[in-house]
Amino acid sequence: MRKVISLTCHDLGIGGRRKLISIGVMLGMVLLLTAPSFAAEDLGAMWDTAEEEEKYYQLIDIPIPPEVPLRIGCFDIHPDGRLIAGTRRGDVYFIDGAFDQPPAPSFHLFASGQDQIFGVAYDNGDIIITQGGEVTRLSDTDHDGEADRFYTLTNNWGYAEGHEFAFGSKPDREGNIWVALGLSSSYYSRNVFRGWAVKVTPEGKMIPICSGLRSPGGVGPNAEGVMFCFESQGPWNGACSLKHLKPGGFLGHPASYNWYPFVENMDAPSVEPDSQSRILIEKKRVKEFVPPAILFPYIKMGRSITGFKVNKTQGKFGPFENQIFVGDYTLSIVMRATTEKINGVWQGACYPFREGFSTGIMNVEFSPKGQLITGGFTTNRQWPVRGTKPFALERLDWTGLVPFELEEINIRKDGFLLNFTKPVDPNVAVRPDTYNITTYCHIYAGFYGSPEVDHTTPTVTSASVSADGLQVHLTLDRIQESHIHDFDLARMKSKENENLLHKKAYYTVNEIPLKD
Amino acid sequence: MNIIRKIMTSRKYWPALMISVLLFAARSHGAVMLPGLETSRLDQKLKGLVLLEELNCTACHESRSSFAATSKRAPRLSGVGSRLNPYYLEKYIQAPHDINPGGTMPDVMAHLDVQEKKQAAEAITHFLVSLNKGPDFGLESPDTVAAELGETLFHSVGCVACHSPRNEKGEELLKEASVPLGALEQKYNVTSLIDFIRRPHDTRPSGRMPDMRLQSRDVERIAHYLLRETRVPGRLRYTVLRGRVWEGLDAEVEKERSGHTEDFDLMNFDTLNKNSALDFEGFLRIGKEGVYRFFLEMNGGTLWIDDKEVVNLIPSNRRGVKKVSGNARLEAGWNKIRFTYIHAGKEPRLSFEMEGDSFKRQAIPSSLLSISKTPIEPYKPYPVRGILVETGEHYFSKLGCGKCHDDIKVDSGGSIALSELNAAKGCLSGRKGPWPNYNLNDEQHKLLTAVLPRIETMQLSDAETVNKTLVTFNCIACHERVGLGGVMPERDHYFVGAKPELGNQGRIPPPLTHVGAKLNKAWLREVMLRGGRQRFYLNASMPLFGEMNVGHLVDLFEKVDALEEVSIPEVSNVKAFRNAGHEMVGTDGFSCIACHDFNGQKSGGAGALELIHTTQRIKKNWFHLYMLQPARFHQTVIMPTYWPDGTSLRPDVLGGDTGKQIEALWVYLKDGSRARNPKGLSRQSSELRVADVAVMCRGRGPAGYRGIAVGYPEGVSLAFDSEQMNLRFLWKGDFANINHGSWSVRGRDRIPFPTGIPFHRLGSMEDNWPYKRKSDYLFPHDHGYQYRGYFLDEHKRPTFMYRYGDIKVEDFFEDLLDESGKVYFKRTFSFESQRAQEQFYFRAASGNVIVEKPDNTYLIDGLTLRIVSAHQGIIREGEPRELLISLALPAGKSNLIMEYRW
Repeated sequence: MRKVISLTCHDLGIGGRRKLISIGVMLGMVLLLTAPSFAAEDLGAMWDTAEEEEKYYQLIDIPIPPEVPLRIGCFDIHPDGRLIAGTRRGDVYFIDGAFDQPPAPSFHLFASGQDQIFGVAYDNGDIIITQGGEVTRLSDTDHDGEADRFYTLTNNWGYAEGHEFAFGSKPDREGNIWVALGLSSSYYSRNVFRGWAVKVTPEGKMIPICSGLRSPGGVGPNAEGVMFCFESQGPWNGACSLKHLKPGGFLGHPASYNWYPFVENMDAPSVEPDSQSRILIEKKRVKEFVPPAILFPYIKMGRSITGFKVNKTQGKFGPFENQIFVGDYTLSIVMRATTEKINGVWQGACYPFREGFSTGIMNVEFSPKGQLITGGFTTNRQWPVRGTKPFALERLDWTGLVPFELEEINIRKDGFLLNFTKPVDPNVAVRPDTYNITTYCHIYAGFYGSPEVDHTTPTVTSASVSADGLQVHLTLDRIQESHIHDFDLARMKSKENENLLHKKAYYTVNEIPLKD
Repeated sequence: MNIIRKIMTSRKYWPALMISVLLFAARSHGAVMLPGLETSRLDQKLKGLVLLEELNCTACHESRSSFAATSKRAPRLSGVGSRLNPYYLEKYIQAPHDINPGGTMPDVMAHLDVQEKKQAAEAITHFLVSLNKGPDFGLESPDTVAAELGETLFHSVGCVACHSPRNEKGEELLKEASVPLGALEQKYNVTSLIDFIRRPHDTRPSGRMPDMRLQSRDVERIAHYLLRETRVPGRLRYTVLRGRVWEGLDAEVEKERSGHTEDFDLMNFDTLNKNSALDFEGFLRIGKEGVYRFFLEMNGGTLWIDDKEVVNLIPSNRRGVKKVSGNARLEAGWNKIRFTYIHAGKEPRLSFEMEGDSFKRQAIPSSLLSISKTPIEPYKPYPVRGILVETGEHYFSKLGCGKCHDDIKVDSGGSIALSELNAAKGCLSGRKGPWPNYNLNDEQHKLLTAVLPRIETMQLSDAETVNKTLVTFNCIACHERVGLGGVMPERDHYFVGAKPELGNQGRIPPPLTHVGAKLNKAWLREVMLRGGRQRFYLNASMPLFGEMNVGHLVDLFEKVDALEEVSIPEVSNVKAFRNAGHEMVGTDGFSCIACHDFNGQKSGGAGALELIHTTQRIKKNWFHLYMLQPARFHQTVIMPTYWPDGTSLRPDVLGGDTGKQIEALWVYLKDGSRARNPKGLSRQSSELRVADVAVMCRGRGPAGYRGIAVGYPEGVSLAFDSEQMNLRFLWKGDFANINHGSWSVRGRDRIPFPTGIPFHRLGSMEDNWPYKRKSDYLFPHDHGYQYRGYFLDEHKRPTFMYRYGDIKVEDFFEDLLDESGKVYFKRTFSFESQRAQEQFYFRAASGNVIVEKPDNTYLIDGLTLRIVSAHQGIIREGEPRELLISLALPAGKSNLIMEYRW
């Protein structure tokens, strides 16, 4: 462990100034300086795969007319086929023609005058939005095409400081909206339920679900309908992650412990996590602790991960059905993620997918035609974003060609099952040295972020290729619990001698299955 | 005009241009310089008159004519000894034509011998300085950073329309066609020049130098520029820089300010922002040649001696200060020293010490520092001697100074009446004598002698008066008026604007041809006399010349300028016309908003004139004429006609009738800021404007994080806190600005209301009214409240909904006009309760002063609140006082109604 590390604040930077954080680890000192950094911030290397990706997933700009300030925060699809967009400025637009080839969008303003909208859903003729201070049902009672009734389902969480963003889901099966509430000023929980996820029933009752969030982004279900949210790197979060919103759970950041007395039928965990520890240790000490399901190694896989959506296009988007697609604000990229439940705990892997978007991505949505819609904005307050447009609406269209990709990694009791989109070259795939695997974890601590630590290099003891060439079963000499398993498959070839479009993938092992 | 721009930007035309300037110069060397007179095509008779007025002939020569009143009065002299450098005054009085060639101040001592001239000038100066009531004149070092910005401003805001533009060295480029400035650094100090530019009419009431209506900061910058040659002794020159200073001082770094400082001590600076740099420059005096060591403790910086780097430390925000040192061989005498200090790091700090063989290690004392190798004489206050003061007053009187400079009331005797003047004698004779010498050229002499015999009987037509005034005030330096003049080709390229897409109209002030037929009088008055502006994209500022001086133009323009009358169609159906206008302005029509701003929302591109003020500025007849054929009024206009040859491009609107369509635009635009937003109007602006329906915004702001602002069409607004469900502010005028997740009030007359819930059952009248304190986490739900949102009426006005216990509350504000047309809010609470509710209170307002008036009305500080429904107000004492309204609700529905006026 280095004595002093310097990292850059990770939260969304909306409404706040960029902060340079220097951390004296040994001193346990946290020093905040409000100042521009000395050099352009390092946004990390590009994957350098955009050109190749374009062959399979074409990036198409959906033009926004000059009069429309479309700083997108969230999306949904209207049953009439229009794209619904909620914006940071507090508008809801219905957009026709966004899915046309070429895009021919026309914008209809359905509602305006709301606070930053980071959750929108069509619901029974109405629109439900999650905005800074509340969850609101918008109705057009006189059917003139514009909302005229703004019914507040709940505003029963604290909202009194900067960084207290609220990200909302679409209704779950019971019609509940799940809301993830960011901390106060991104470090504290000074207003009620900051750092919690809550669910809001159709009747407007707010039910606290779990504590321990820091600066969450998108909220929604995985393919199985279980609710998750994305979390940002920062204190108690060595990297960005996908977190399972487990009822009664504690999700890692203890600042929000103070609200347990305000929750019916839920007791505060009897212990607090120790700082400068490891998740492996603390998840055993704090029984409510729900470890992050998937960690996204910092900068390699995002810096401010935001809204996500599961691909249920039934093949219209190509492979990757039922997988999570998620945007990153800072790096203007889209990544994939897959989840599986092992020993009752969710975990899974993340994979690079597409880079080169024009702005900071806040959310994604699948169109009825199976296109992936992305949107977002940059801020004028120096929060760095790779994409340079102040805001943009873009779309990924599958070209019909299937890329050679590591489609999914599943854990096995003795190793991993690697699933590919195309048959692998068995001669290459069978060789253990085709697979470079390292493992590492993060320091679990109250300071900002963490370097990758405790590296190990497991040995691949065998690689067996399935008959169809789509699966490789790897056995390892050892699987590291609570470590990221970092896969580098640069040597892999498909049967047709293609290289993998993306050579990297990262599996977070929370649990090792007792049996396959 | 394009040709001219080409000329100005192409070097190959320069010789021709220079020749024309030189010819011009040859014609009028050293003589009185009145650019309006030189450049205009004014009638000879009127030119003579202008000259007579500018030389203020009637100050000495009594005249019955009206021109005495319009003549240019001399600068006021009271306080002149504070404002102007007395040493300059002395030189100037002695030889005005030498010191300020081209000026209108005459030499009144041409008949005296050299010795007496000197004595008289000295004595008059002593006299003038003795009148000082203010502080003595002193010199100030100019801020070179401000001066750099001032140079740009001087050449773009309009100064060079009359004064000469200058090159980098400060040499005047169009000296002979400009109002002379002379060596201003010898005349003014920074403070007095700023004062003068800011309020020129205080000392020069005749308004030839106009009030440029510039921001204070810009006036200061121009003053620093004009005085940048002022030399004042000092120890070190410093410049504060901001930006990416750590990358070097060349790129992406902005100079903030400069000045003199005593030494390298940071204590000399009140405020230094982090990540700024201080660049020190000067000379270091060394007694004994040798190697000297420099010890620095800082986060980053560079030291150069005689342009050689001695110490260099790269700054870092990731650490504190570091100790660094370096050696340099220094000569005896003055050594150039430059030190750049970067104010960065965890603990910005500077220690700067020097050590030599016979020089003990210490901070460099300021006595060893100087901004210059050669000594600069400090300014010495002008010593006023009593005996000279008396002599001075005598000369002042005897030489007739008091005739023009009449504010200090020194009797200067009488003179021949204007009607009895003989051009062969006195000031027009060309001989030296006890009369003023004006240094007129032949042409000016001819003009004056020609006009003199006619002057007492001369009557000017309105058109002549207009023309004479436009020349006197050199309006034609910026505005074209057909037959009179316009922007000089040599000056054309100094007119610039922020909207190049608008062509010449985006950089050159509008023509004055037909202006009386174009603008209505109220707007003309606003622009000419009160600084009203519409063309914010022009860099040239429309200055004020003073009502006394140019006020008569407002009426005269209208009398003089006439255009044919258009037959304007009858508006048969206002609503249909308004709708047609609305459609034509929007993107489904002629898309006027593609180029024009509309109700504060920026246009798609060009940023052309705001449309909603059209009918307040323009005469309807002219509007019709202009719309039919814009090019008739601006040869280079970009706006196309939508009715070529009188035929509409939209036959489907109002039957395709051209007159009706133009009138429909007028009818629509007549709604001004209440005009319904046209289709396709941009929503990008951070300013929210209210048109025909209410506009709302919410988020962080003056009413907390859950504040909701509502702007109503009648020009009133309110802020409602949806967390505590109470009214927090009322205001009038502009609505609000929004940013990402926040908003702020734009308007005026803000009435605040206290934070806290609206209704409460007070246990006793001594209980505090509950409001959300930081740790009241569950407030106001713990008081039985639950906010439930709002719904909109047909004007998009919200009715807020919430519950107070088991009472359903709706809260609705209406913007209404009373009989006198004044706007007020009517607020209606609608309650619904299953059961009768025992007494509780509504807190209506709080204030330092609450007075009960008849008709159930209360005055609360600036607010008048009337309870309309049958409820009773109670004034609760305390600090502040509160106006409570007692409520006891019946089962079912009931109301509380109030009116708010302020």
